[in-house]
Amino acid sequence: MDELMIAEGSLTPLSSKTHISYQFHLSEPCPFLVVDFTYSPKVLDDKEASRPLILEAIASFASPSAIELQKEKWEQFLPLQNLLTVSIDDPAGFRGSAHRHSPDQRHILSSDEASPGFLAGPVQSGIWKITISVHCIVTPTCMYRLSVKKGRDDHELGAL
Amino acid sequence: MNWEPFELHTHTYHSDGKHSLLEMCREAAKLGLSGIALTDHNTISGLADAKDVQEETGVTIVPGMEWTTFYGHMLTLGAPYCEWRDLGPGDIHKGIERVHQAGGIVGIAHPFSWGSPICTGCHWDYAITDWNDIDYIEVWHRLLPPYNHHNAPAYKQWTDVLNNGFRLTATSGRDWHHSEERELPAFTYIGVPNGADPSTANSIVEAVRHGRCIVSMGPMLQVEAIVENTSYGIGDEIVPSNRGTLELLIKLDPSTLPGRTPEDMPVTNFIVESNLGELAVLPSPEVPAKTVQEISLEGIRWLRVRATGVLNGGSTTLAFTNPIYVALK
Repeated sequence: MDELMIAEGSLTPLSSKTHISYQFHLSEPCPFLVVDFTYSPKVLDDKEASRPLILEAIASFASPSAIELQKEKWEQFLPLQNLLTVSIDDPAGFRGSAHRHSPDQRHILSSDEASPGFLAGPVQSGIWKITISVHCIVTPTCMYRLSVKKGRDDHELGAL
Repeated sequence: MNWEPFELHTHTYHSDGKHSLLEMCREAAKLGLSGIALTDHNTISGLADAKDVQEETGVTIVPGMEWTTFYGHMLTLGAPYCEWRDLGPGDIHKGIERVHQAGGIVGIAHPFSWGSPICTGCHWDYAITDWNDIDYIEVWHRLLPPYNHHNAPAYKQWTDVLNNGFRLTATSGRDWHHSEERELPAFTYIGVPNGADPSTANSIVEAVRHGRCIVSMGPMLQVEAIVENTSYGIGDEIVPSNRGTLELLIKLDPSTLPGRTPEDMPVTNFIVESNLGELAVLPSPEVPAKTVQEISLEGIRWLRVRATGVLNGGSTTLAFTNPIYVALK
């Protein structure tokens, strides 16, 4: 497999509700693509830092009659978590999305099969787009790494 | 009219659910469901084997999606993937237009769920400038929905929208991610006219669009209005020649499913609700039952029936119909 693209970045709570898109060019069709995506940390371990965030959510979303009761039980919402998702557009359009909670993901796209969330289909040449949707960052910083590899032949795919 | 129990909000491992589609449909068949809508988060890839799964299990699969965005979760039915990643909190009508253009309908999922950081984007924060664009609203969400706190404001919001003159279908949704839960989900009974095929997505989408839905923990609560010798069903519009009276027929067919029989969840009252508030509270006689109530049409824009009773030892709502509407003269 050949590395096609590597991108890394650092996020903060102000990165919440943003999309980060990377585009790369695939110069010729290939048997398959492997997209690896990781981010860390997943959870906010700091209980005291979590408390005001949870209390704010309780004040915003609990029914008025339940606010005081919910405040007493604020710890039931621990731990707060970061959530980032990956979606992919191939040169023809939407190819799929992996809306799941694991911070370590590998997605494989090929003509005949694809990882859950994605559509099987030819891996065509052209501009591909990978979007990291930053649903929520609760930790002071969160590092992510995205990489794309292209396969040379189907034999390699079987070994993955 | 055939009334088919459906689950309209589900997830597989193509997003963050645990089931495959086949596993979920097998569970759905055990529950007595006629069909499900597959509404994975932001993808439609789980539908790849839908035809085979429907054939094998006999459970109808309606293609859908849950737009899992930063400002709210919106369900779509009967449409392919439609783009959501370029929409801000003031742009939802642009997004809805895409779904409608593709032949689908949209529903607000769990509008009063807690949002970020507890459940990211789960609270509906999009600005709605025209409720005519919204096809349905998930008034009952999760298991044992009448006891879920976030559903009470959803029922009130639905009522307020109806009172403002809009037509909006109410549904239930389990938000089904796995089958290890033991409490009961609600059903959305969907009215498919005689002659229409209940195993096609189009029949189900049309029924939800038209408001032919009954939301229930089990009992089949039906309502029919007779005006000037014409019968009107749930979702229909009465166009009366004068403001006389209507005869309301309320019918209750008890469920025979385990955990949902009249012994498990007895119905105690029928409440006739309308834009003028509660019109009548009728103690339920022995089931199966047919109750007739005469109601003046004066000032009525919509009316529906809610059944209350006993569930898990508490007194609560067991079922409610969607409205029958009355045209303004």
